Amino acid sequence: MRINSAAYLFKQGIRNIWNNRIMSLASFCIMTVSLLIVGFAVLFFANINTFIGNVEDKNEVIIFISDDAGEEYITELGEKLKSMDNVSSVSFYSKEEAFEDIKKDMTDAEDIFSYLGDESPLPDAYRIRIADIEKMSSTLMMINSLDHIEKVKAPYDFVSILRGLKTITTIVAGIILTALVLVSFVIISNTTRASVDMRKREISIMKYVGATNFFIKVPFFVEGLVMGICAGAVAALFTFLGYDSIVELLSSETVLFNAMGISGFIPIEGFIGYITVGYIAVGAVISAVGTVLSTRKYVRV
Amino acid sequence: MVELRNVSVTYGSGANAVHALNNVSLKINDGEFTFVVGESGAGKSTLIKLLIREISADESKDGSTAINVNGFDLLRLRQKDVPKLRRTIGFVFQDYKLINNLNVYDNVAFVLRSIDAPARYIRKRVPQVIGLLGLQKKINCMTDDLSGGEQQRVAIARALVNNPQLIIADEPTGNLDPRTSAEIVKLLKEINDRGTTVMIVTHEHGLVKHIGGRVINIRKGEISHDMHI
Repeated sequence: MRINSAAYLFKQGIRNIWNNRIMSLASFCIMTVSLLIVGFAVLFFANINTFIGNVEDKNEVIIFISDDAGEEYITELGEKLKSMDNVSSVSFYSKEEAFEDIKKDMTDAEDIFSYLGDESPLPDAYRIRIADIEKMSSTLMMINSLDHIEKVKAPYDFVSILRGLKTITTIVAGIILTALVLVSFVIISNTTRASVDMRKREISIMKYVGATNFFIKVPFFVEGLVMGICAGAVAALFTFLGYDSIVELLSSETVLFNAMGISGFIPIEGFIGYITVGYIAVGAVISAVGTVLSTRKYVRV
Repeated sequence: MVELRNVSVTYGSGANAVHALNNVSLKINDGEFTFVVGESGAGKSTLIKLLIREISADESKDGSTAINVNGFDLLRLRQKDVPKLRRTIGFVFQDYKLINNLNVYDNVAFVLRSIDAPARYIRKRVPQVIGLLGLQKKINCMTDDLSGGEQQRVAIARALVNNPQLIIADEPTGNLDPRTSAEIVKLLKEINDRGTTVMIVTHEHGLVKHIGGRVINIRKGEISHDMHI
């Protein structure tokens, strides 16, 4: 294609947007909103995953050691635990330490403690943290198979809640994203159809004088592409401003979030560039593909 | 050159089948000036659609059917090559089919822009053709501001701008008064005198008698007369 023809077709695409401005504006707004919802959904789920990750890191498994294990074996057991792939930290919790802690917690049960004397009736234990909570069961099976393990106390309920939460967020995110992509396709398709309808006369003349299908479709492609890029850029700007405001608003609730084990939100500054590129790319691809598909249907030489 | 041999076109099938053209054969040589006449529904529009490959002919059982237009074998023409065929044909429509929001220059240039012609050629060729049709003074006018005759001249300029081998004018005088109609047909005759094959499809017998030339009469999908007057 010649440069002058490319410039002409590009101008035609821009002219389409202007001639079809009401529909184009509606389409642009809906696309921007769709992209914003997609973007915020992604950010929301990214934060949820980070929060889940933070909470996961705070998991604790307690391994009680039977009384017949000697000191040498207890040290050896500690080394074995440290060498396990899925164990991120190991700390020894002696029975004396445990007894002192329980005394501190139960100040109203001094009678019972005086009856027990100074010797701790509790077993020695190791406190460990699991690196990947998804592989917790297999790791605990390995630990249980070791000698002198009296009992292993693990937060199974907590793990299953986290797993459920992760699954739900993934499914919800998938459904929202798919629905929004489909909605965007339908909108773009309708805009293109309106645009094709408006230019019916021109298209019929182009067909009669020997314009190729490609040549007829390019302005519609340009129209979709420009709208997608603009919608992506505007959505990125709104995301940047909106996310910062939301984070600022929520940051005042630090006590609540700390209680929930949430240490902070993902800062947007680090990846606003990726978001902008992502928005523009998604907007452009959805628009361009939507336009090409709808013109294939309505523009035939 | 246009050559049709044993061509039939049927719309629909079974009991609803309509035979728009029935075993039609004709030949229009390069440089000829031909009128195609007939009543409404006789098959004139089907003939035009066939020549520009908007529709296809029925498949003949004995393989005797042939359609050749400007060197293109339409029975074997691939869909992607249809634009190449159409670039050898200029169209003039009854309702002009001009683009209202473009001026005269841009309406004529639209054809060349649509077929990816070089900008320098467009700048040279468009005023040349507009001048040929006596529309120099109207070159920047919007088409809505022109009379019916002037609009049809713009349509002829648009048909002519790509140097077609064949011009097909479908009822070009249908919306014009008798005096302007005669002017438009004379203009088409002048274009024919310069070597372009011209085919005028009309039902105005008076005009045909006034101008004269080869007349092909289609009646109920068949050629009933083919004569010179």
